[in-house]
Amino acid sequence: MTSFVPLLAAVVPALPLAGMVLALLVRTQRQSDALAVVTAFVTAVAGLVLAGIALARGGEPALRGQWYLIDGASGVLLAVIVVVGLCSALLSPTYLRTSGRSWTTAARSRSLYYAALFMFWGALLAVPIAGNLAAVWLIVEATTAASALLVAFSGRRDALEAGWKYLLLTTLGLSVAFLGIIVLAIGQANAGHHNVQALDWYALQATAHSMPAQPTLIAFVLLLAGLATKIGWAPVHNWLPDAHSEAPAPISALLSAALLPSVLLIAWRVKEILQPSVGAGTTRAVFIAFGLTSMIVAIPFLWRSLPFKRLLAYSSLEHMGIIALGIGFGTPLAIAGVVLHVAGHALAKALGFYATLPLLRIQPNAATHAPVAVLNDSPATATAMGVSLIALSGLPPSPLFLSELLILLGGLAAGDLLISAIAVVAMALGFLGLLHALMEGVIGDEARRRRRRRSREEQPIIALTAILGTGMLACGVVGVLLLPGSDFVATLARGVL
Amino acid sequence: MSSALATVMLGLAFGVIAVRRRTVAIGVLAAQSLALGILAVDLANARSGYVVAAVLLGKAVALPMLLYVLIRRTPEARPVTAPAGPMMRLAAAGTVALCAVVLTPPLGLGAPHTEHAAVALVLVGIAIVIARRPILFQLLGLVVAENGLSLLAVSAPGGLSYVIEFGALFDLALIVTVAAAFAQRIHSDLGTGDTELLRGLRD
Repeated sequence: MTSFVPLLAAVVPALPLAGMVLALLVRTQRQSDALAVVTAFVTAVAGLVLAGIALARGGEPALRGQWYLIDGASGVLLAVIVVVGLCSALLSPTYLRTSGRSWTTAARSRSLYYAALFMFWGALLAVPIAGNLAAVWLIVEATTAASALLVAFSGRRDALEAGWKYLLLTTLGLSVAFLGIIVLAIGQANAGHHNVQALDWYALQATAHSMPAQPTLIAFVLLLAGLATKIGWAPVHNWLPDAHSEAPAPISALLSAALLPSVLLIAWRVKEILQPSVGAGTTRAVFIAFGLTSMIVAIPFLWRSLPFKRLLAYSSLEHMGIIALGIGFGTPLAIAGVVLHVAGHALAKALGFYATLPLLRIQPNAATHAPVAVLNDSPATATAMGVSLIALSGLPPSPLFLSELLILLGGLAAGDLLISAIAVVAMALGFLGLLHALMEGVIGDEARRRRRRRSREEQPIIALTAILGTGMLACGVVGVLLLPGSDFVATLARGVL
Repeated sequence: MSSALATVMLGLAFGVIAVRRRTVAIGVLAAQSLALGILAVDLANARSGYVVAAVLLGKAVALPMLLYVLIRRTPEARPVTAPAGPMMRLAAAGTVALCAVVLTPPLGLGAPHTEHAAVALVLVGIAIVIARRPILFQLLGLVVAENGLSLLAVSAPGGLSYVIEFGALFDLALIVTVAAAFAQRIHSDLGTGDTELLRGLRD
């Protein structure tokens, strides 16, 4: 099967890009929707085959070519991006039916929406398999252009503000990261490596030992500070709650569940390649600092009565912090937790954002206010929101309960007792905030509940709750039974290359 | 010559943060991009280096033209009032540039003046985004920062790979196009490009 990998590595990101071109050519809304479904399924099949090959290799060395690198982490991220992208593409017609016209006519809006969605999805699929630091930076910059248009798709003033803020802040952040890449390239050029291959992950890893310490440390700090803006780590997370809350629900799901962890994988790879020169203590400290800061900054917002999408956005801040913490600990237990957390968070968060589609129909003011007792109006929507909130809060049997436990145990194994203790308190406070949202926003007052017939419009969210809920349970079982002590995790703990 | 051009580029960045009129700011940016292109020609020592220089010179012409079309499509009755006067903005930009000169450690280029100028340009670009309210000036801040990055890239020994240079320019073109679409949409919605009016999202 590995002989197909070079072809698949090129085809997987190319399929959505072909869908993007076709989306601009089709004329009717019906053709647009049909094209989206076909492109989504074809991409998903190819993407899952590639992810399956990467995951099936277990602890074997990564597959690499001139422009690609496929290891276990690539496999996990590819699977996540494929699943969330597929669900988002299939749910988009439901969103577009109610969104009306945005920047232009309704038919043209639909074409532009799908073109931007497929460009965003294609770029996202390329991020975990790109084998070169400069190339992956270019791809991440491309995700910004496509997703900024999608964030502002509704054309409302708040959406324009969110999209503009997202475009501006993440572009500036990525400029800082690019400064770090140029500093690395200068170091490579001084060592006689001039071509673009000098910035391949493996080339950088091979020469990291001989890089001068000070410029490499500067490059590391610039890269991490720049990427942190795109990951949404505190304190450079200002765009995140606005963009996630104003974007169409299928796009919010992709932003939170796929984009943030994909960019986090780049930060993880940067840590691995520069660690020999910068020092393990420094790289660990930077990740742990970003992790704890993000978790702590998120708490007051998780306790407030916020619109549901905004609450989910602050939850993303918390969970990206937890993943950073796990990578910072770096022990096999913590890395097992990180892998499980990326997958579990993606499914739970995507379901939460998808649930806002029916939520905004039954409680239109939920766009600007916290939802109130959704169970009274729509049990199906309440179930989806409840499953998402229970999973995100880390309540058993959520896979996030297990992943957080593994990360904390990994922290203890690394000897970071104080940091683990602070993390436990932060997780507990975050848990209480989401539990409050569950009780007030979703369950509400039983005495005021009324019987109502199930609407046909609820069918998509019922199906998604069943599929993604089952996926979360499966993640938990697989995570506990297979991950700790596996060759797969041991290889990742040695380095994501 | 390259040191002098780097200084000229930094001086022109101060111009972008100080001037009021959008057309003048675009002219200043065009001059800065032109200085970058000339510097790239001066430093080019291989065919790929000349290709990169040619593309940078092309950018110095094409980007200001695109921005000029944008301001023709988004007319402002009068320039947006700035919260701080030009002298205050210049003082802030000067402080930022001074910090870059004092605090930037050696980046491995072996040319401290160019290193300081490049980092100062990135920081002044960020300062322009923060200090200027009109959407076009915020976009110009992004391009100034990008010019700082290009200055460092073309000054690298042997130049940065042209694949990376072209990729970065393509991304810049993509971002500027999307930003221009935003600028037009925001202008048609608010009747002005003043981003101060876009402050509805708060927690």
